[in-house]
Amino acid sequence: MTLDADNDAENTAELSREFAEQWRDPAYGCFSSGHKFCRNVCPVMGVTQNENHSPTAFHANVVAMGQGDLTVEDVAADYVHCTQCGACELRCPNTLMAGDFYRARTRTVDVVKAMRALAVQSGVEQPRWKRWVEATVDRRNEPVLDVPVSQDNVGRWADGLGLPVGGETLLFVDCEAAFYRTALPRAVALVLQAGGVEFGLMREQWCCGGPALEMGYVEQSREFAEHNVADWRAVGARRIITLDPHDYISFTEDYPRYFGDEYEFEIVHITELVAELVREGKLTFTVPVERVATYHDPCRLNKRKGIHQSPREILRAIPGLDFRDVDHVTQWAYCSGAGGGLAIEKPELTAAISAQRLDRAAQLEVDLLVSACVWSERPLAAAGEERNIEVRDLMELVAESAGIEVTT
Amino acid sequence: MTTTAISDALYDELVGILGPDGVLVDKPARWNRTRTPAPFPVHRWRELVPDVVVLPRTTDQVAEIVRLANRTRTPVVPRAAGTGLTDGATPMRGGILLDVKRMNQIREIDLVDRTVTVQPGINMLKLNEVLQPHGVMFPDDPASYPCSMVGGRIGTSGWSLIGARYGHTRDLVCSMEVVLPTGDVIRVGEGGGRKLRKASTGYTLKPLFIGHEGTLGVVTEATLELVPRPQVEFAAFFGYHDYQTAWTSTGALAKSGFATLAGVVLFDEWKLAYLRRDDEAYIEQPDWLKSVVAVAMYGNEAEVVPAAREIMRIGRESGGTYLGDEVSQGDWAARHDRYAIPLHGRLRSGEVVPMSWHCEDAALNYSVLPQVREEWHAIADRYIREYGIFDDWGMFAYTNGAYKPWGDYLVEIDIGIWEQKLDDTNWEAWLACKREITEVTLKHGGSISACHGASREGDVEFVPTELGGGFEVMKKVKRALDPNNVMNPGKYLLDRAYQGDQEED
Repeated sequence: MTLDADNDAENTAELSREFAEQWRDPAYGCFSSGHKFCRNVCPVMGVTQNENHSPTAFHANVVAMGQGDLTVEDVAADYVHCTQCGACELRCPNTLMAGDFYRARTRTVDVVKAMRALAVQSGVEQPRWKRWVEATVDRRNEPVLDVPVSQDNVGRWADGLGLPVGGETLLFVDCEAAFYRTALPRAVALVLQAGGVEFGLMREQWCCGGPALEMGYVEQSREFAEHNVADWRAVGARRIITLDPHDYISFTEDYPRYFGDEYEFEIVHITELVAELVREGKLTFTVPVERVATYHDPCRLNKRKGIHQSPREILRAIPGLDFRDVDHVTQWAYCSGAGGGLAIEKPELTAAISAQRLDRAAQLEVDLLVSACVWSERPLAAAGEERNIEVRDLMELVAESAGIEVTT
Repeated sequence: MTTTAISDALYDELVGILGPDGVLVDKPARWNRTRTPAPFPVHRWRELVPDVVVLPRTTDQVAEIVRLANRTRTPVVPRAAGTGLTDGATPMRGGILLDVKRMNQIREIDLVDRTVTVQPGINMLKLNEVLQPHGVMFPDDPASYPCSMVGGRIGTSGWSLIGARYGHTRDLVCSMEVVLPTGDVIRVGEGGGRKLRKASTGYTLKPLFIGHEGTLGVVTEATLELVPRPQVEFAAFFGYHDYQTAWTSTGALAKSGFATLAGVVLFDEWKLAYLRRDDEAYIEQPDWLKSVVAVAMYGNEAEVVPAAREIMRIGRESGGTYLGDEVSQGDWAARHDRYAIPLHGRLRSGEVVPMSWHCEDAALNYSVLPQVREEWHAIADRYIREYGIFDDWGMFAYTNGAYKPWGDYLVEIDIGIWEQKLDDTNWEAWLACKREITEVTLKHGGSISACHGASREGDVEFVPTELGGGFEVMKKVKRALDPNNVMNPGKYLLDRAYQGDQEED
């Protein structure tokens, strides 16, 4: 072993010691009760039935690292098996019954993110994530599949809409939507215009940085955030509208951590805003949508941010729609499998999780599954095709019922 | 990453049976399939890991694995949810950890003869989600209802919160497919029947394969009882000025004779003090309250509604004050989630620390409950003072008999253990405490375990004493069925069945 390698190994060991110490008490919060209610709502466990992938294991490994039994090299690959949906945290009896009391709410998502970051820092990288993040850094946007991605065409979805750049309110369009599902941001823009919401676009929009952070690439994520916030500030923005729940997490959880008290932006998710427009009569639904539909609660809206009422409010306001709802608590166990980088490293698991979701939709005898998360829609749509269930975004339905023609 | 002690040849054979996806040798796989929820010697974790983990999907695969284990004299430890409280699924000799979570299929729902046939890796909550639209349920309702699995329930002979009405796990199994320790597959039920509830043909073998903690084989399929979903679930909580009155009232309620009575639970004052102190969901009660009794009834409206009126009368006339609908309905509905309240405890200084939970589960007769309670708390108090890593979370007593809930109780003292402080000295202190608790149980004519099993250190030393000649029969049975001692070796002191044989092997 060379001297450098010795130093690297010592550095990794030190990082692991610090990590185990930092996460020791939260890990024991799970380990000491060990009830594993989480297993039944974990979308990944639901398809692998492999205890290595259980939220309980994610905490127990930290205890074992503290005992000197496991290392980050031993466990890093297991932590790929998480969509960071947050179901386990909600289902955890510690959260339900004692978490607030002791300020010890279970924090599995944070543990997973921290372990992934430790892995990257320790040089234990997952090949597809590494390539994905490298390409994102290179192009400033995620290399979403099947389409050319570059800074030149990040705003091309808006061609012909005459949207201004800058202003007090900005619409942030996620990478998947900006490059692949361009009809969606067009629908969102037209809906906002119809509702009388004034908004502009960024001068130069980079990836939100959330995916890099979810995969453990902390520094890269921070760079994206720095750029975007500087761009927002340069045009005098105060309010940011997101159409993707993943961005909503980045802007409401990650960015405030980066920028502290100086972070001055109001972040609004599109479903909340549109529900308000409908409530206030600024947007009316006139065109019946004669479909039998159910709603897919995007994990980051429902489980992570508690947003489950506004999309239902919107759906119930659409005439003609036979809306067969499944309550948001039952949907703790539902997921598309697309989040947390799982679709990049383990696309076969994402497909299996989406298939399970569509099986549940099929039991309701619907012909339409409505989602509000653009990242979920590709795998859900693929699974839907086999079951003759169409997958659409809520905002596309809103545009249709509001009589807005979305031209491409 | 092959970091395991098994030979390449054994690994290859296992992969031949299960494919590479079904054989795990990485360290996290092995470390995460040994520990159990409550007092686990975390400082000795590495001594209790298996050498290899297998994830079978079929009975044939399980049988092949067990035959291979016999041929190679490799230990096999079956594990379902890993939520058991007696370390039945914790390997003591390494070997093959047989994780049944991929055996989670429902084979048949028979609404005519009222059975459901399942694989062992299914959880009761999940099973009942599927059964609900048919108007039936599988009424095995442990505190661990959202997480434990049918295989583990059978392996430990579990107890159900509504067992007074519907029976416990052993009362709810019509028949089972069992892979014996030699790899032979048999069906055990009532006589040769698959869906019969009572037969007299031959020996009554079925109970032998319930509660053996994986020492006599692996259940790979079970045909279970279905009952009509109850039209009414009634729960009432009564408060008392003192334990003695609450105990008397418990007796009166349990002896009421109503067939719809699902269970009666007695909380003592230590338990109430704990809930007041450390339960976020505790619904505030007056200070005079020193003891609580919960009673539940399940069944058809025509039975439960008039019976509930009588239960309310008995509860009040025996000294109870009804605590209101919020507590009665809310706390009963939250019974599974609240099972996990133990998470944090307090040192004598009042400092909050994360604690794991010992849940004693002795079976004791009604008459001795007050005396046992005093003796157990006194033991706990001594160890709390001496070691500073324990906390007394109080006692519950639950009606224990299926359909006959009046004579005996599952008696629980909950003791918090500061797991982060476990080392050899503190672990020995815990075991000494546990042994004293067990000695009290046996002195009063009880059994070490009503439902968890008694194969954990601190319990198991007393099994030969409790069972007497019965333990000699256990050894003979073990040796007859498992000639090579491959099924969960080391458990229940059953190595003694083979003493003197080592040379022959």
